[in-house]
Amino acid sequence: MAAPAELAAVLESRGWTAAPPTAHPVSGVAESRWVAPGHLVAAAEAAKEAGYFFESMTCVDRLDPHGVFELLYTFNRWDAPARVAYRVWVPKDVAVPTLSGVYGIAAWNEREAWELFGVVFAGHPNLTWLLLPEGTEFRPLLKSFTAPPPSIYDDSLKPPPPGVDGREHADADG
Amino acid sequence: MAASTPTPTAEPLDTYTLNMGPQHPSTHGVLRLKLTLRGERLVAVEPVIGYSHRAHEKMAENRSYAQFLPNTSRQDYLSGMIYNFAWVEAVEKLAGIAVPERALVARVILAEFNRISSHLLWIGAFLLDLGAATPFLYTFDDREAIVFLLESVTGSRLTYCTGRFGGLAKDLDADFPRRARAVVVKLKARWPELVDLIEDNVIFLQRTRGVGVITLEQCRTWGVTGPMLRACGVPYDIRKVEPYGAYPRFRFDIPTRPEGDVFARYMVRILEMAQSVRIIEQALEALPEGPILAEGSIGVKKRLKPPVGTQYYAVESARGAYGILIVSEGGTEPYRAKFRTPSYANLAVMQDVMPGTMVADAVAILGSTDIVLPEIDR
Repeated sequence: MAAPAELAAVLESRGWTAAPPTAHPVSGVAESRWVAPGHLVAAAEAAKEAGYFFESMTCVDRLDPHGVFELLYTFNRWDAPARVAYRVWVPKDVAVPTLSGVYGIAAWNEREAWELFGVVFAGHPNLTWLLLPEGTEFRPLLKSFTAPPPSIYDDSLKPPPPGVDGREHADADG
Repeated sequence: MAASTPTPTAEPLDTYTLNMGPQHPSTHGVLRLKLTLRGERLVAVEPVIGYSHRAHEKMAENRSYAQFLPNTSRQDYLSGMIYNFAWVEAVEKLAGIAVPERALVARVILAEFNRISSHLLWIGAFLLDLGAATPFLYTFDDREAIVFLLESVTGSRLTYCTGRFGGLAKDLDADFPRRARAVVVKLKARWPELVDLIEDNVIFLQRTRGVGVITLEQCRTWGVTGPMLRACGVPYDIRKVEPYGAYPRFRFDIPTRPEGDVFARYMVRILEMAQSVRIIEQALEALPEGPILAEGSIGVKKRLKPPVGTQYYAVESARGAYGILIVSEGGTEPYRAKFRTPSYANLAVMQDVMPGTMVADAVAILGSTDIVLPEIDR
């Protein structure tokens, strides 16, 4: 049995998989399984034991029809086309267990999902802004996010205070 | 005021913090490293990123697949061609668009030239970090020849946007193979000189051998890919492991080195350039005649509506495994696009690799990762 199928079989035999909540297909991966959030850490440990590295994590906003975020983790191996996707369906305002204890790089991916979507990761050592300025309060990758608020670092959106750049004199001269 | 008096900390005073960047010349872009030091030895390293975050993933959701094309090469400006083709190929896969043979081979030629130019720039900049100014002039001279060649095909020198869904924007002209071969001859003539200049230099060897060793366990935990992983002895290259485009029909090797140190990363990139040249020579021989863009398909103006689904597509960029994940809900715009960039992981591993080394080696180790910050920040 190929490595991805073996890992999928381990997940299924231990009861860590969940029923597919949607028929949305994933291609470009060898195996794809829905994982219950409670079993995510154990499933990631199984992947690491089987020689997989953490490739990527994608958060998808599915709040509008379903009220959930979809987290799509991909793990891969160095020896064959062996990409395995774990898909987790997370209701809004429910914390997901962090994978930063298993894979170091997960810490950054989770910080990104937190700042861009507002997904909270339980047990994360340092859940703070990674790409956005510290203190950013909006979640820009949410579908509900619309108007960009003026940045506190960008004063081009505000008129300059009078007299600062000689504009009054220029106006007076016509 | 009593409130503003700094409170004494319980932390022992023998460590101190040093900011490297965001304006440091060796951080290649805008990166800040918070170094915690005890004497001259690093105790902890915290990369602070996000200075050039331009929200590419949000932009992808707000424009059509074709309108996003110019964004792709702005992620990694040193190997923009590869990133541009990766987006094109990912969308072709998602929407099931066929590509003519000539376009497939032409993409390989252009991408491999871009890979060499990226490596050449890295060699020059890395050695400049180590204090050697001369190799920079040599590599930029060679790189200029490649940039000039690519400009003649695409019209741009750095941020290429020549991929189209179903082929290329513009055909290679009849004279292109001759000019490309001339560039290859120039590159090959220069390399022995470059090797003499660098690899026989005692200072270079002392600053790179045995410095910044990465273990396989660290590679796995942090998702290190590309030349950094191949310098640890793992022959992982997407072009071989998950062959895409026209790569399966060309013979090339994956250079590896077992040491995992800074010198190994340098050597792997040097050897990789020779393999890229090998691919280019075969591809120029095999370049078929025919259309460059699929018949009746695609141009940029046609509204593309891929079917519902999620597509993961990976290519080997100059820095490692670059992955694109597109979620389509059947609309004219992607519902979500995620870019798995290689430098992201290759920089993150530094938190684990750098502690314990001397601060003087920090520049050598950081330089050897070949990071491009706009690609990390996206």
